[in-house]
Amino acid sequence: MMEEAASQLERDHVHSVYDKIAPYFNDSRYKAWPKVRQFLLDLQPGSIVADIGCGNGKYLHINKEVFKLGCDVCRPLVDFAWSQGHEVQLCDGLHLPYRDSCFDAVLSIAVIHHLSTKERRIRAIKEMARTLRVGGRIMIYVWAMEQKRRKFEKQDIFVPWNPNPHSPSVFNREHAKPRRRATAQSVSEGIDNTDKHRKVRSTSSVADEEDLACNTPQQRTQRLWFFSRSLDSVFDFGSLAISRSSSRELSTLSSPAGENEGNRASQRGRGRGLIKQVSSFFSPPSVIGSEEDVFDSVTELHKGQNDPGGNNNNNPNNNNGTEKQSVSVSLAEECGSLALPDLVPFQAEHMKQSGDESEGGPPVKEPQESTQSPQGSEGQVDGSCLRYYHVFREGELAELIENHVEELHVTHAYFDHANWCVVAEKVQLWKI
Amino acid sequence: MKLLTHNMLTSHVKGVTKGYPLLIKATEVKVNEVEFNPQFVSRMIPKLEWAALVQAADGLGHREDLPGELVPNYETNEDFLKKVHRVLLEVEVVEGCLQCPESGREFPISRGIPNMLLNEDEA
Repeated sequence: MMEEAASQLERDHVHSVYDKIAPYFNDSRYKAWPKVRQFLLDLQPGSIVADIGCGNGKYLHINKEVFKLGCDVCRPLVDFAWSQGHEVQLCDGLHLPYRDSCFDAVLSIAVIHHLSTKERRIRAIKEMARTLRVGGRIMIYVWAMEQKRRKFEKQDIFVPWNPNPHSPSVFNREHAKPRRRATAQSVSEGIDNTDKHRKVRSTSSVADEEDLACNTPQQRTQRLWFFSRSLDSVFDFGSLAISRSSSRELSTLSSPAGENEGNRASQRGRGRGLIKQVSSFFSPPSVIGSEEDVFDSVTELHKGQNDPGGNNNNNPNNNNGTEKQSVSVSLAEECGSLALPDLVPFQAEHMKQSGDESEGGPPVKEPQESTQSPQGSEGQVDGSCLRYYHVFREGELAELIENHVEELHVTHAYFDHANWCVVAEKVQLWKI
Repeated sequence: MKLLTHNMLTSHVKGVTKGYPLLIKATEVKVNEVEFNPQFVSRMIPKLEWAALVQAADGLGHREDLPGELVPNYETNEDFLKKVHRVLLEVEVVEGCLQCPESGREFPISRGIPNMLLNEDEA
């Protein structure tokens, strides 16, 4: 059942990930997007605003003249928001516990891109529209497929979480500690010191990647995205793969997409493990690598790796624990420099590629030669922290609303850093 | 959970048509001091379901002399606005639950946060 699969995907790759990463989240992202801030400041005094998917509540302190409430599915984030003095609830964006037409404004900032089917994204927008009064406005931000320096190759992706995205050799260590607004924030104190030196950026910011790129010539950039078949297009979504971004930032020194023979082995080893690991969330295992072009290299790889019997139907759950573990950790390390639209930008990481790894053996955990700071907290966050995103194409969000949510009328649509943004107004529908 | 928030909340259990207002069963209530902004309160009033507010305040034992119906010209009636302010923003349910008037389903409130997440069969 599509609905169940969609819920399961979101539980595994959105809800449980945010539950795990919540403590890290709070530290770095309390800055509000200027345009969102302005939207809130422009509201009439005495307005009621709801931030649906409020996360740690970073928008809830803006504009004292309006009443704000927030909600999210992630308990640790909601707890944090409450500790800052905000009115927050736990709930699901597809079932909002608010009566019809009670809000003057609604925010949905970097939220609906976590919903795994088009139908669910529409439902979420409709739910928010339901709670808006006629004349009320909604502002929606979602990650864009098209970004300043690169484009995601696919729209449905898994993005690993990295708690330590910066290299101290690049980062200015004089950055002040993030301002703490409340006394109850001990969760973030356990974080490795490096995090405190991160530039503070808001959630949806690619920020000024250009400023920080290409710092040292020997630093290499590697980006890994994990593509998922869109749940909208298939009924069996067991096929997942790792692929490399076609970004021009890929250095020729790092292992580029499939070109460097010597490194292929190590990549394949990891890839195989990851695919099995991730695809164990879906069934049935036998469809691994069955369809699209992008998965072809993976299919071959499976055949190569398997027993002489050529049986491709390994039960992914048979991966022994250690293999999975080492893949996860090495994956986390590899993905350590993932440049994410929402994290402080730029990561440049020196990847050591070992040509030694034997093709048939289990992936070996590679020591990461990196100019990054000690990965003290890395052990705590493994490769299973993959967040699912459906990144939006230009015009997709506005079209979604115009074609499927007749009670909303789009008034503004724009690109803001790494996001597609829409402001829409609730209109009165007349049924004859 | 403040009573202003409660005024917006409804039961959304599948099949329920009369899920508002939720009945408050509180085991811990706090009263805070919140800065009084008469204009804010005055503008908030038309957005409220007044009867639900009075019922909620009453149920918590914090109604005091809040009238059952809106007084005329409340915009300039500072006394009245102060009473509304207290009930809307200063009274807070910290522990307890919210009960759906139709299905009886209870949504827990803990550490001030109502958990309105539905189970699979209720969605």
